[in-house]
Amino acid sequence: MMGDDAPSDGGIDNGARLIRFATAVLGDDAAELAAAREDIADVMGGAALTDTAAVAALFNAIDRVADATGIPLEDAKAEVTADFRADIGIDDFAAAQEKGHAG
Amino acid sequence: MTEISYQNLAQTHNWEVREDITAAHRRAWQRLGQAGTWLTGAEKIAIARETRAALDCQLCQDRKAALSPNAVQGNHDHTGQLSDLEVEQIHRIRTDPGRLSRGWFDGLHNDGMVEERYVETVGVIANMVAIDTFTKGLGLDPWPLPDAQPGEPSRTRPPAKRQLAWVSTLAPEDAIGTEDETLYGGGPTAPHIYQAMSLVPAEVRGFFDIAVSQYLPGAAMRDFDNEYRAINHAQIELVAGRVSALNQCVY
Repeated sequence: MMGDDAPSDGGIDNGARLIRFATAVLGDDAAELAAAREDIADVMGGAALTDTAAVAALFNAIDRVADATGIPLEDAKAEVTADFRADIGIDDFAAAQEKGHAG
Repeated sequence: MTEISYQNLAQTHNWEVREDITAAHRRAWQRLGQAGTWLTGAEKIAIARETRAALDCQLCQDRKAALSPNAVQGNHDHTGQLSDLEVEQIHRIRTDPGRLSRGWFDGLHNDGMVEERYVETVGVIANMVAIDTFTKGLGLDPWPLPDAQPGEPSRTRPPAKRQLAWVSTLAPEDAIGTEDETLYGGGPTAPHIYQAMSLVPAEVRGFFDIAVSQYLPGAAMRDFDNEYRAINHAQIELVAGRVSALNQCVY
């Protein structure tokens, strides 16, 4: 999930395009962001582009609220996500030991 | 006075921004210039300006590239309007949130950080990131900051305690019967992200005013029989998950 290879759709319509945009909007490559933006607009439409930008931007902010206040993941969520959190590498993030879950 | 509008995108590119997003951004910009709970309007504008300046800070870039942010010492490139303590808080949250630690937070506290101001500052940063990332995503320049309005902070503190997070939070059961009872919809439980900034309830209300327009209202999040946006639930969560993975957010 965190690799540099071209993303696949992951079973979600236009998934690769959405991942490309989400990656570019957090990065520093203006040309890549412009290309990712145009790609979504051309294929999915302008409303899809603005809603994608809205979601990406909101989560870029909400991550900071979570990380700056040190809230743990709810126990119930930690329990039901334990297997795939390990599988996709979330448990290896620097903050995992600090803020893993409430339990 | 800045008037936020995305109408030109519809005219020039046929990219429609929902009116509820525009309205939420306008309300956020209005709040930004006004005195809050622990910060004056001028302090909030200074924090907003510093949030943007952090992206050009060489120390932050060097730390971000290092194996550990603690391995790189130096001085931040900053606007000169805030204390070193506030600059460190703002820059680290803006540029490297995934590696914030309890030790870092306790260090700020030991150096004189005021917890209530810290939480309100987190709220200002979050609002700025939500709106600035949105404009960046659409190829727009950041909106000019609003003018600071006169006025004093209210300095009202809910019965929050150190119980859930690094910062004090207002538990849902402790909100019942207080002026902040509606913060969690009056219920006995609430997701931790709703409680995160509850030491300053106005910041919770302000941030989630943006969240329901840029993401989804609570009921819509769990309504998989209907779609509410131009991208569907699965696509929304894919974008959210990718952003959070890049930020190394474990929440």
